[in-house]
Amino acid sequence: MALENVKINASSGTIEYLNTKYIYVSQSRDLKIDRSVSYAGIIIDGKNLDFTKMVVKRIRGNQNSEIYLKPIIILNGNAHRDVFIKNLIDGVIFSFDQIPLINEHVSEINNLSKEITIINSISFEAMIVSKLLYFMFTRNLKMLEPVPYALSNTNYSFPFLACNFSDFEEFQVLEMLEIATQEGLFKHKFLDRIYLCSNCKSSHLSFREACPKCGSSHTDTFDIVHHFPCAYVGPITDFTNDIDDQLNCPKCSKKLKHIGVDYDKPSVLHQCKNCDNRFQDFHVKAKCMSCTFDNPVETLVDKEINEYTLTKKGESYALQGYVSTPKDIEDIIGTVKFDTFKTVCRYEVERLRQTEGSSNIVAINIVNAGQFYAKVGSNAQQMLLKDLVGEIRSSIRSSDMITFYSSSVILVTMFEIPTKISQRIMDDVLKLLEKLIQNNFKDLVIEIKSNVHQLNYNLSSELQINQLIGM
Amino acid sequence: MTGLDEFFDYVNSLGAERFTRIFWFFVFFELFRYMVIDLVVLTIAKILKVLNRKKTQEALNRFYLEQPLVSIIIPGKNEGKHIFKLVKSLREQNYKNVEIIVVDDGSDDDTPTIGRDMERNGFIDKFVRNEFRGGKASAANLALRLTNGKFIVHLDADCSYNYDAIQQIILPFYMDSKIGGVGGNVMVRNYKKSLAATLQAIEYYDTISIGRVVVSQLGIYRIISGAFGAFRADAMSQIQGWDIGPGLDGDISVKIRKMGYKVKFASDAVCLTNAPDTFRKLAKQRLRWDKSLIRFRVRKHRDVFYPSQHFNFSSFFSFLENITYNIVLNVKWYIYFIDMVFNFPHELSFILTMNFFLYTCTNYFKFLVFSLYRTEKNTSISYFLAYIPLMVIYFGYYLRIVRSIAYIQEFFFKKSYDDPWNPPKTSKYAKELGL
Repeated sequence: MALENVKINASSGTIEYLNTKYIYVSQSRDLKIDRSVSYAGIIIDGKNLDFTKMVVKRIRGNQNSEIYLKPIIILNGNAHRDVFIKNLIDGVIFSFDQIPLINEHVSEINNLSKEITIINSISFEAMIVSKLLYFMFTRNLKMLEPVPYALSNTNYSFPFLACNFSDFEEFQVLEMLEIATQEGLFKHKFLDRIYLCSNCKSSHLSFREACPKCGSSHTDTFDIVHHFPCAYVGPITDFTNDIDDQLNCPKCSKKLKHIGVDYDKPSVLHQCKNCDNRFQDFHVKAKCMSCTFDNPVETLVDKEINEYTLTKKGESYALQGYVSTPKDIEDIIGTVKFDTFKTVCRYEVERLRQTEGSSNIVAINIVNAGQFYAKVGSNAQQMLLKDLVGEIRSSIRSSDMITFYSSSVILVTMFEIPTKISQRIMDDVLKLLEKLIQNNFKDLVIEIKSNVHQLNYNLSSELQINQLIGM
Repeated sequence: MTGLDEFFDYVNSLGAERFTRIFWFFVFFELFRYMVIDLVVLTIAKILKVLNRKKTQEALNRFYLEQPLVSIIIPGKNEGKHIFKLVKSLREQNYKNVEIIVVDDGSDDDTPTIGRDMERNGFIDKFVRNEFRGGKASAANLALRLTNGKFIVHLDADCSYNYDAIQQIILPFYMDSKIGGVGGNVMVRNYKKSLAATLQAIEYYDTISIGRVVVSQLGIYRIISGAFGAFRADAMSQIQGWDIGPGLDGDISVKIRKMGYKVKFASDAVCLTNAPDTFRKLAKQRLRWDKSLIRFRVRKHRDVFYPSQHFNFSSFFSFLENITYNIVLNVKWYIYFIDMVFNFPHELSFILTMNFFLYTCTNYFKFLVFSLYRTEKNTSISYFLAYIPLMVIYFGYYLRIVRSIAYIQEFFFKKSYDDPWNPPKTSKYAKELGL
């Protein structure tokens, strides 16, 4: 590969190779993040670890997908050996003439980035999960592994997620992963357990034995001696004297002769030098090195550290985006949790087995939700979902329930009503919804479908819900 | 002529002189000491209590103004199962400035787990475990070392306490600064469980509780109960805690007296305990108690009778009364019995019947009249009325025989040192040193 194909423009801080342009960042003043949108990748001078880490974090922590998905290459230095940085970059070169070696990889990432439908998520949590899914998709990653990292506030780091939080908020990374796992986007495998400060959620803890009264670890420990003949009990210092090394009982003045015969040491006591408290069992305390809060170990927050594998559902969301967490749509008034919905359906199937009546469940699917969510902001999304629920609620009986399976699929119960009538009601609902959307989002075409399913008491409710969702 | 008619004829034929000759034991000892004297002293105590109402209120005010820390110590082995119930009754106390210290004397059950859990959750202030059993005295002494209070209250783990028990047992210290120890009023909780427990409940009501009011008033109260006793911390420091038992509660009361302190009984400080529920268990308990009388009163503390720097008349009379009415009278009863067998062999059946009648009447009289003097009771006294006649057999024969056996065992064989209540490693030395 010839260096002559690599054009370095020192004044603009850009490098070009076969029409592929890179931005080169070697000092703080070069760091104009927004500029990177129009380049294929970012090359960072890796001589200074702190500088490199700062730049990489700013890029990966950005909210704009055209920035945080941008390929990052490290030039020179040892910065790429830092495990945190290593997990965030896409290649290492040792001179500009090695650009041809990574160019193809950069193109591949950029091509995959173009395949993604970038949507606006309803909540911050959903946005972070979406970012992760996009990043993994563009890097062909199927697995997310924690990195043991002493500089992380949780001791284990998920570098890409950690970029989105300040050091003191890094524990929230674990909450994001919990949400994604509950949603079925990841499978997890237990690796380790960490304990976090109950005050600031840092894992930088110093464990030590402390006085149960004042919490000080400045203590003395001494043996308790029991003199059999007179039942005197006291620390060994009570029995010593300044004249010789014999032990004499302070109560009966007799000489202690033989342990186990005329005296023994039945226990050990500790004395706090700070408050003079005498005790036998230390309290174990964990002092937080981040906020100095002294935690009783019972109050520490324990968290599992897992490795995560992307599921099929996760892979599909990586392409179409993750709009909302279950919590986001549970908050919409007039709906019940999906679990509650499933339980009610289970009981209804049981009831139908006795009565042989007719009950239905309905799925309302926003077919092109991805396109819609990609074009409107999170407020508009939430407003739409609220309006949809409001319209559906006004058309059905108050005893029927509405739940969100996802941000694009709404499920409704229509129990004890003939299927034909259910279908008719749903047709009316769809017309109302279409009208609603036309009035509120004039430039958008939203396709909504509904499917009415009559509950069969010979099949499990779970299976029937899954069949309905499959539509 | 029926047997009853013959008995009444016999009673009618007795003149005052002959009655006194035949029933001298009853007339001179039982009637005089345990009824006449008790009644007189109880009346005086009652009057003084009324007269001292203002003084008592002032003492109570001083007590609450000072709010002294009271250290409650609970030494014991395998007592974990009782601790929660005990601590619950202690948390209900109207006096709150207390610290609770539990010492586990080498338990081999789940007491350590329970104790540590209770300490961790703040139910008790300290839980300390001795890995090797050292006996009650050493466990109590270890607890004593950990106390910070002005007063030390020693409790048994299987007891529970009235809501104002701590206040009532500390109050006497504020009425008289010379008081070094106060005994609480122990009553039987499980009085319905068995006949043995019911008879003990009556005994605790009369002989123990009322008896202690009397001896306390006379200034010769001698046993601060191990189940509920309070001590001045400085006095405990002077006497360096408990010595080896069994009978260490009586022993420590004597040690406090010897230091010049007074010892009092607080009848309003009520503690409920579970009495032995079979006569076999009761016999074991009483053998231990009665042996300690010989061991401590007759042997270890016999110097109470001699002139010395620690001599005081209250200790002297306390011992004298104790030895006279327990040991001497016990022997005298046998003399009385022999006297009757040899001198009145043909009247024995009438004498036994008459004695039974006399004692039963006295017991009923005492039980009912003494009720006027009892400030605290844990149940209606009517429950016990049907059992009063049995007290003659319980006191007169059962306890007397047990006591006699105990005295012989201890006097001639020093059997208390073999009692498993104390670990052999300590008893061996106590025996050698005559402690």
